[in-house]
Amino acid sequence: MTVRIIAKLDVKPPYVVKPVHFEGYRKMGDPSEMAKKYYDQGADELFYIDIVSSLFQREILFNEIEKAANKLFIPFAAGGGVKSIDDFSKMFDMGADKVVINTHAIQKSPGIIDKAAKIFGSQAVVVNIEAKSWNNYWECYTDCGRIQSQKDVSDWASEVEQRGAGEILLQSVDADGRCRGFDIELAKKVVDLVNIPVVVSSGAGSLEDIKALIEAAHPSGVAIASLLHYDRVTTQEIKQYLNNMMASQ
Amino acid sequence: MNNIIGIVNYGVAGNIHSVKKAVEKAGGNALVINSPSDFDLVDKLVIPGVGSFKDAMQELENDNFIGPIQEFSKPVLGICLGMQILSELGYEFGKTKGLSLIDGEVKPILCDGKIPHMGFNKINVKTANILLNGVESEEFYFMHSYEMVNYTDIIALTTYNNHSFVSAVHKENLYGVQFHPEKSREAGIKLLSNFVKL
Repeated sequence: MTVRIIAKLDVKPPYVVKPVHFEGYRKMGDPSEMAKKYYDQGADELFYIDIVSSLFQREILFNEIEKAANKLFIPFAAGGGVKSIDDFSKMFDMGADKVVINTHAIQKSPGIIDKAAKIFGSQAVVVNIEAKSWNNYWECYTDCGRIQSQKDVSDWASEVEQRGAGEILLQSVDADGRCRGFDIELAKKVVDLVNIPVVVSSGAGSLEDIKALIEAAHPSGVAIASLLHYDRVTTQEIKQYLNNMMASQ
Repeated sequence: MNNIIGIVNYGVAGNIHSVKKAVEKAGGNALVINSPSDFDLVDKLVIPGVGSFKDAMQELENDNFIGPIQEFSKPVLGICLGMQILSELGYEFGKTKGLSLIDGEVKPILCDGKIPHMGFNKINVKTANILLNGVESEEFYFMHSYEMVNYTDIIALTTYNNHSFVSAVHKENLYGVQFHPEKSREAGIKLLSNFVKL
């Protein structure tokens, strides 16, 4: 099966923004227009993350999510500020197929993962890991790469798998938005550790970066933001490039 | 026109909106069904499903859907879990009796790959079927940890990491697909329009 190419929208409603190292947001466009654009370009899937909901501790803006989900016939994962089973339900009602959770699960209640997996099925529960590299390990961050959790990424990845998460979105606080390549060591570590799909994000600056990640770490999916937002490539071009790569092997 | 498509709304876990949107895009007249008394209004039924086998059967029972679905004689399309519960037995969170309309059991996928099996994958048509007309070589979106084990009603198989499993079934008025046509772009809409036109 081919690696999924996923377009990732980091949203600070009402705009898609693009932070560098999870900070300094640049406005990129309207979420629903961009979602439709990437759908038309052939993206396999879409991730929509409200990156300030947890940080600002404000309610989730569900209508924004509904607008973005509305015109797509591909899987749509939504997250940012999810704190309860009720939030999960509302996300699904707004058209999400998967719900992404990070901050609340780490800081307050890891048990929400078990609960959500039981009710909605593992495949609908995605845990977002925001990893920051230290000397010899990676630490999980929350609130959009702001708050340390003192949790080792490996420990947390194993824990969320056991609790029933169906997928991990792995982001790197260090590499995000820099377009200088992925943290491949981090990706390898997590992909090899767990038996659930891992979608790797943060750092794509070129088609070669994506290729290098796939060859070295074998993720189930790659989530791309800047590279697409700045129109440097289209999802179609990425998929074509990867197809050619597979064919030549 | 016999294109009023009832979408069975049961339980908390549903991607009912995605399915409704896709059925409409496929030319169907989608009607969300909250009670079996509405079965009289529809020409066909879609049973979506996200969640676990056990919870799904429990919810169907609570809403008195089980008998009416079993007796429904017009075309039925089960999607993902909606297909799985057509079978005799499920082994998700213990052993649960299914709708027992198709001779099969639902078991965890046992293979070398990452589970859930998630992403676009091909179907390999085993028996030509009107449901799959024009989409025989397309890819569909899968998102599941369990599979239906069936030997008698297979119309398509799919291979994931060298593991082959049932991806579509047909028996009399019943159709089932393990993948999500509502999440499979134009190919999924085409499949749904095949169903709408039955």
